[in-house]
Amino acid sequence: MFMPLLRVFPVLGAIVMVFSLTLLVPWTVSWWSQDGAQGAYLPAVAVALVVGLLLRCAVFKVGRKVELQTRDGILLVGLVWTLLPLLACLPLLLYFGQTAQPISVTDAYFEAMSGLTTTGSTVITGLDALPGSINLWRCFLQWLGGMGILVLAVAILPMLGVGGSQLFRAEATGPMKDAKLTPRITETAKGLWTVYCVLSVACVLGYWLGGMSALDAWAHMFTTMSLGGLSTHDSSFGFFQSPTLEWVAIVFMLVASCNFALYFVAFAKRQPARIWRDTEWRGTMGLLLGASVFVAGLLLVKGTMTDPLETLRVALFNVISIGSTTGFATVDYTTWPVFAPLFMIMLSGVATSAGSTGAGIKMARVLILLKQARREMSRIIHPRAVYPVHLGGHVVQTGTLLSVLGFMLVYGGTIIGLTMLLLLSDLPFDTAFSAVVASVNNMGPGLNEVGPAGNFQGLTDFQTWVCTLAMLLGRLEMLSFLVLFTPGFWRK
Amino acid sequence: MLFTLLPVLSVFSRILLAFAPAFLVPLAWAWFLDAQHHALVWAYGFAFTTVCGLVLWRSTHRFRRELQAKDGFLLVNLVWMLLPAFAAAPLMFTVPDITWTKAYFEAMSALTATGATALSGLDALPVSVNVWRCFLQLLGGLGIMLLVVAVLPLLGLGGVQLYRAETPGPMKDTKFTPRISETARGLWGVYVLFSVACMLAYRWAGMGWADAFMHMCTTMGLGGFSSHDASFGYWDSPRIEAVATVFMALAGVSFMRYFIVLRQRSLRPLTRDREIRTYVSVLVVSILLVAVLLTAQGVIPDFPEALRTSAFHVVSVATTTGYASTDYAQWPVFAPVLLMFLGCFVSCAGSTGGGIKLVRMVLLIKQARRELVRIVHPRVVNPVTLGGAIMPNSVMTAVFGYMLIYGAATMGLTMLLLFTGLDIVTAFSAVVATVNNIGPGLGEVGPASNFGVLSDFQIWVCTFAMLLGRLELLTVLVLFTGHFWRK
Repeated sequence: MFMPLLRVFPVLGAIVMVFSLTLLVPWTVSWWSQDGAQGAYLPAVAVALVVGLLLRCAVFKVGRKVELQTRDGILLVGLVWTLLPLLACLPLLLYFGQTAQPISVTDAYFEAMSGLTTTGSTVITGLDALPGSINLWRCFLQWLGGMGILVLAVAILPMLGVGGSQLFRAEATGPMKDAKLTPRITETAKGLWTVYCVLSVACVLGYWLGGMSALDAWAHMFTTMSLGGLSTHDSSFGFFQSPTLEWVAIVFMLVASCNFALYFVAFAKRQPARIWRDTEWRGTMGLLLGASVFVAGLLLVKGTMTDPLETLRVALFNVISIGSTTGFATVDYTTWPVFAPLFMIMLSGVATSAGSTGAGIKMARVLILLKQARREMSRIIHPRAVYPVHLGGHVVQTGTLLSVLGFMLVYGGTIIGLTMLLLLSDLPFDTAFSAVVASVNNMGPGLNEVGPAGNFQGLTDFQTWVCTLAMLLGRLEMLSFLVLFTPGFWRK
Repeated sequence: MLFTLLPVLSVFSRILLAFAPAFLVPLAWAWFLDAQHHALVWAYGFAFTTVCGLVLWRSTHRFRRELQAKDGFLLVNLVWMLLPAFAAAPLMFTVPDITWTKAYFEAMSALTATGATALSGLDALPVSVNVWRCFLQLLGGLGIMLLVVAVLPLLGLGGVQLYRAETPGPMKDTKFTPRISETARGLWGVYVLFSVACMLAYRWAGMGWADAFMHMCTTMGLGGFSSHDASFGYWDSPRIEAVATVFMALAGVSFMRYFIVLRQRSLRPLTRDREIRTYVSVLVVSILLVAVLLTAQGVIPDFPEALRTSAFHVVSVATTTGYASTDYAQWPVFAPVLLMFLGCFVSCAGSTGGGIKLVRMVLLIKQARRELVRIVHPRVVNPVTLGGAIMPNSVMTAVFGYMLIYGAATMGLTMLLLFTGLDIVTAFSAVVATVNNIGPGLGEVGPASNFGVLSDFQIWVCTFAMLLGRLELLTVLVLFTGHFWRK
């Protein structure tokens, strides 16, 4: 039981130590602008360094050359996503500890988890009044989370074969045959992070030229590229009232909801056409744009809005924001005809591509499921016919198919189970359901109490923990976290 | 297209002729208990149905041939779409202020054993109308039993091949008629036996003969219609609720199993079966959970009382019957949602209940567990087994295909209702209640209300949902694929 833990500690320690350095970014900003939160960062850096060093100490026990196995990989991923939020919430605890309204550990951990899983739910109100560096830290966490997720989704999960993610492997970069974790991950990470950084720079320029202050431009770039959705303003993007900025956000949210590995391959091979020939890319783009136009039509017909162009822009922004699991809002869309907000929330479960920073079921799985459903229909009429399921020219094997279906089941089970838990704590049905869906899909705002006009602050501690768990589960594609709780995992 | 239809119509005409005498049941009740003109309506209904059947039979008789699988789909759809129309016609003349939409909904709800009603003021209706509504559920139950045990497995959809292993009689015969008639005789024998027992038990517990008969019909069909607006709240009698609880729980299991038990004179097929064990444990755990919740939250402070109420409602909704003795939608929100959720999957395969069926759920959970093992040991071979037999991948993908379509249908129909401006709780629960053939939903269509408050379009959506759920979705949806109509 302890041995597997010890084996991953050195790597975990290294990750924690690198992570501690990222705290220097908000510290620098804070020190530069003297925003009153200077004292919140250095203690946190110290704690993180000490924790990291202690974990590194495990080296003496297990030796320097530990080759990580699949099982270690799963454990490591689980530990990273539970431990880092704990460290990341330290500055929040320290800062709010010295103000009039201290924040509870529950809330701070929730906020940090929401950051690192790129969810974008918040329990803090009065964002506009916070020191710039604290806001920057919240947003920066999402960007870091995005980096982690890219590697997770493209290199680690497919390797583990979680929920049929073997599928996504085909498009990934780097040497495929190597079964060892480290070299492949390094290779993939390099490629993906380059693309991520290049797009991020483009995004920050866009925001800056569009009229944001430097700090806002950086903060919102962080949360756009990672499809996170935290903002430095209580009214989110509604604060700016700027069509230009909304268009910039629309473009970059769309870009970020697609597979980064695809961009990398297209760029490395100098074949831009690969992008729009990709089935999944088409699925994501088609669905998001189609849904936006549909909602725009609905708003016009129902008379919620009248100006066609403005309606289109508002619909594009909000539908893409929710559908891509970002969670920005320019208006309180829960006041739209009830069909629209629910439709958008459903969309967040299916629209983003595998290998993006989005969450949910992923378009690749959705496409396979659709094909499988159609196949079952055909099989009813011709029971003996052979209908393989194709995706992007490859035949999907039955084993993979069953894995995808198994994933769906656990996904559905998770949503139902967690909703039941929230209902048990006396939340109304639509709040409970939407909070769980919004958290599991790492999207952010739900409906009612937890809607875009409210936040998760009103929940009890127990409910906040349930949502925290939901975010974590959704981010780690359920199975790779749940497997830690099976006895088979710990058996020799 | 017309050519494929004719032989099917020929069989349908015979089913219609067999259905016609059903009108004599309310006729008999009307003769003794209602006004003269009501009796006439049932007589006309009988005559009209018989004439239609005869004309159809006469004109399609020469196209008779052995039915194929494809014809089976058509037939099943025709039966469940057209019989409600015949059954609904007399309602138009006996129920005040009824529209055709509501009448058809009511008949569909009866024949699919759903139990959602669009009518209010049930207590004031002529006895024969209530008898008719309830009796239709008994008939629906008979039809459903045949459908799920004999017809659907032959068509092999959604993994229903599973149930096949359990059916007695000659298995190798792939032709329809001999197997079905063999199965039907055994099943219906058991069904009638249980029904008589149920009716006597209700009478013993304190119902009048008419009520005992009607509630027997709706209990055995797992339908849930009642002759009173207050449903079982009308009596508020622990004894009657206990009888209902027992018989609903019994009817939630395939009658096939009782048939086998009777034939083998041993209880082992019941006690050793994985599905039935799960069935019992899910029910017991849920009953306790709800009872504790009700006591803890102070809704019913007395625990035995809470247990009785909880048992009745959990069994009623979980087996997709849909009786209520109180407005359980007023309970702490967890309880009604849990009830609806149970209704989605608790009834056993081969029973007259609706929903996913427990055996599928067991398979799905096993598959999920298998995935977890596979993550740790990617190369391990761990097939899903059920009762010692290995489930082939094709069955698993079929079960999943069913689940997918089930989920998509629920989602899609909910969206459609939301689109019409219904609130989310009402829309979602109305769809869940009808797709799973439960009956009452929550919100506007809760146990204290009925489906009559919905608009015509919304009622049609719910009618379609009942049909879809009853025919295990694929049977209906396959008609909309191009493949089906291609030569």
